[in-house]
Amino acid sequence: MPVPATPPQRRSHAPRPVSAAAQAALVAAAAAAGAAAVAAAPGAAGPWAAATVCAAWLCLAAAVVAGAGAVNRARRAAAASEAELRTLRARAARAAAESAQLADTALPALAARLRDGEPAARVLASLPPPQDPRLHRLLRLLAQELEDAARRTRQAADDGGRAVRQLALAADGVDRLTAVTLPAAVARLRDGSSADTVLGRLELPPDGRLRVLAEATVRELALGERRAAAAREAGARALSRVQAAVVSMLADLREMQDRHGEEVFGDLLRLDHSTSQLGLLTDRLALLMGGRASRAWNRPLPLESVLRGAAGRIAAYRRVRLHSSGTACVAGFAAEGVMHLLAELMDNAANFSPPVDEVHVYVEERTAGLVVTIEDSGLKMADAAMRRAEEAVSGRSDDLARLQGTRLGLTVVGRIASRYGLSVSFRPSSRGGTGVVVLFPPQVLSRPGGAGTGEPAPGTDVLTPEPSAPTAAGSGSGSAPARPAERAPLPAGATAAPGAGTSRAVPGPPPPAADRRVATPGGLPVRPPGRTMAAADRGRHDPGQSPPRAREAGDAGARFGAFAEGLARARPPGSPEGEARAGRGSADGAHRPQPRTADPGNTAPDPGAARAVPEPRTPGHPPAGAS
Amino acid sequence: MTRRPVEVGDPERLYTVTGGRSRADGDAFDLVTLIVAESDPAPWMQSEHVRILRLCRTPSAVVEISADLGMPVTVVRILLGDLLATGRITARHPQQGAGAGVPLPDSALLEEVLHGLRRL
Repeated sequence: MPVPATPPQRRSHAPRPVSAAAQAALVAAAAAAGAAAVAAAPGAAGPWAAATVCAAWLCLAAAVVAGAGAVNRARRAAAASEAELRTLRARAARAAAESAQLADTALPALAARLRDGEPAARVLASLPPPQDPRLHRLLRLLAQELEDAARRTRQAADDGGRAVRQLALAADGVDRLTAVTLPAAVARLRDGSSADTVLGRLELPPDGRLRVLAEATVRELALGERRAAAAREAGARALSRVQAAVVSMLADLREMQDRHGEEVFGDLLRLDHSTSQLGLLTDRLALLMGGRASRAWNRPLPLESVLRGAAGRIAAYRRVRLHSSGTACVAGFAAEGVMHLLAELMDNAANFSPPVDEVHVYVEERTAGLVVTIEDSGLKMADAAMRRAEEAVSGRSDDLARLQGTRLGLTVVGRIASRYGLSVSFRPSSRGGTGVVVLFPPQVLSRPGGAGTGEPAPGTDVLTPEPSAPTAAGSGSGSAPARPAERAPLPAGATAAPGAGTSRAVPGPPPPAADRRVATPGGLPVRPPGRTMAAADRGRHDPGQSPPRAREAGDAGARFGAFAEGLARARPPGSPEGEARAGRGSADGAHRPQPRTADPGNTAPDPGAARAVPEPRTPGHPPAGAS
Repeated sequence: MTRRPVEVGDPERLYTVTGGRSRADGDAFDLVTLIVAESDPAPWMQSEHVRILRLCRTPSAVVEISADLGMPVTVVRILLGDLLATGRITARHPQQGAGAGVPLPDSALLEEVLHGLRRL
C-alpha cells in the first residue's frame, strides 16, 4: 500500500546527514572529554583514569558504530520499498489508462463495427488487445454478444421489411381487384360474355388466393347474370304469347263489334276495354323484360289516333280530355312506343288524381318538335317524388333490381323515351297537380302529306326499334320506314287481310309515273336511292296521288255496295236475312272493293284500307299470321 | 320470340271514339236515315265528326256512313247524335223525303236489283 508507506519514507530522508555528523561529533566530543578528564585527573589516578576513559570511549565508539550500521540497514530497506512503490504506481497508471482507452475508444469502435456487420473475430484482431486478461476476456465476451445482437437486429429488420412489402403487394392486389378487375368483369358479363371468356381476357391478380377469389366471384356473377337473362327471356317469351293472345282477342272483339247489334255492343266495349288494359299491362312487363311491344305499325298514325289509342288502354279513359287539333302524325316505327309511353303517363296522372277530376292532354306544335302536356289536378308531387319520377323516366336506371314495386310504368317510359329520343319532364301543374311534358323530336313525326317539317332525319335508322327484329318476308316490315328496299316487295297477301290484295288490284285510274316510282303495284313502298324508307312510305300515302273518289265520279254502284255492306253490318247475325246477306257479302268479296276506293279518308293503295271491310278479316287473323 | 304482325287496324278502340257510350241517346236514326251536313268541319273536332261532315255534304244514309267510316252502325249513331245535338247535321227519313203516299220499293225488289247490278 503506497499511502501508509509515505510517512516513514519522509522521516528517513531528513535525519540521515544529521545522524552521520552527530555520530562523528559525538565520538570526537567523547574523545575530547576523555582527554580532558585524563589531563585533569590527579597523577595517581592518572593511569586509572586514563584506562577508564579509554574503555568508556571505546564503548561509546562501538555503540556509535553499531548504531550507524543499523541506520544504514534501515536506510537500504527504505530505498527498496520506495522503488517497489514506484513500480506499483506505474502499473496502476497503466491499468487506468488502458481501461480508459478501452471504454472511450475501443468499445465504441467495436460496437460500431459489429453493428456494421463485421465479424467479431476480425474486429477483435484489428483492435490492440488489452494487457489485462480479464479485460481481454470481457472484451471478447462483449464482442460476441454485440455480434449476436446485431445479427438478430438485422434479421428482424429484414423480416419486417419483407412483411411490409408483402402487405403492400397484397393491398395493391385487393385494390386492383376491387377497382379495376371486378368492375371490368361485371361490365363484360353484362354485355353477355361467358365466364370463361371474361376470365381469359381479364388480368387476374398474381396472388393465388386473390386469383381464386376473383375467379369464384366472376363465375358466380356470370351464373347470376345468366340466371337473370334466362328469367328475363323466359318472361319475355311467355309474355309475347300473352301479347299475341291479347292482340288476337282485340281483333276478334273489333270484328264482333262490327258483326253484332246494339244489344251486346256495350258488353263488347267493356270486354274490349278490359282487354286493352290487359294489353297495356303485358306490354309494360314485356318491355321491362327486354321484349317488344305487341304491335307494330308500318304507316304514320295521326296524333289524334295515337292519343286516343293511348287513352283507351287505361282504366280511367273517360276522365282523359284530349285537346288536339293538329294534323301531325307519328312515324310508324315509333307509333306503338309513343302510344305506350303516353298511356303510361296518362295512367299515372289518372291514378294520382282524385277519381272525379279530369286529366287534360294538350298538344302544341313547335319548331323543335311536338309538345304533349298531360296535366292532372291531383296532389302536387313532393320534391323527392318528382326527383324519383324524373330519375325513372330518364332511362338511366336500367336495372330491374332497382325497380320499385309499383313504379314499373315510369321505368318503361324512360326506356321508350331514350329509345326514340323523347324528352319527358315533370313540373307542377297550374291546375294544382302535376304536369308531364313530353317533347317529340321531328324524327318521330311525319306529315300525312309527306310535306315539310316531319321529314325524318337521315339518322332515323338509328332510332329504329329492335334493329335485329325479324324482318322475314312473311311478317311484312314491322317498322317499314327504316327497312332496306329489298325487303319491301313482299307477297301482298301476307301483310294484309285476305281480299285486301284484290282491293288494291283495282285502283281507280292508273297511277302517274311518279307514283309508280314510290310504290309497287301491290301497294308496298319502293325506296328510291338516297331516300329513307320513311320518305318513300310517305310518298306512297300522298293523298294528292290517290285515285279520285269514285263517288265524285258518280259511281252509283259504289254507293249501293256501301249501302248493302252497311246493312249487312247492322243486321244482327241471328236474323236469317242478316246471315244471308253477310254470307253473300263475304262470297262476293271481289266486288266489294269499290266502296273502299270510294273511301275519301283512306288512300286507296294503303293496306290499311282493308279495315274498311271487316268481313275479309278472318277471325284471329293477326296472330295467325304472326306466330 | 314471336314475330309481330304489322297492325292494319286502327289504334283507337271504339269506346274511345264514343267516349265510353255504347248506345245512342234517342231513336233519331235508323239505318236508312239520310244525313245532311249543315256546317263545315271545324279543326278542333273529332276526326270522325270531320269525316261525317265531309261525307254528308251530299245526303248519305247512316249505313253508308257506317261503311265509309268502317265503324259499326251503333257507333255512327252515337256520333251522329252528337252532331245533331249541336245542330251541325240534319236527319230526315227517306219516307219523308219521298213524300207521302209514294210507297218505297220493298227490300226484296231492291235485293234483286242489287244482284242484277253485281252480275253486270
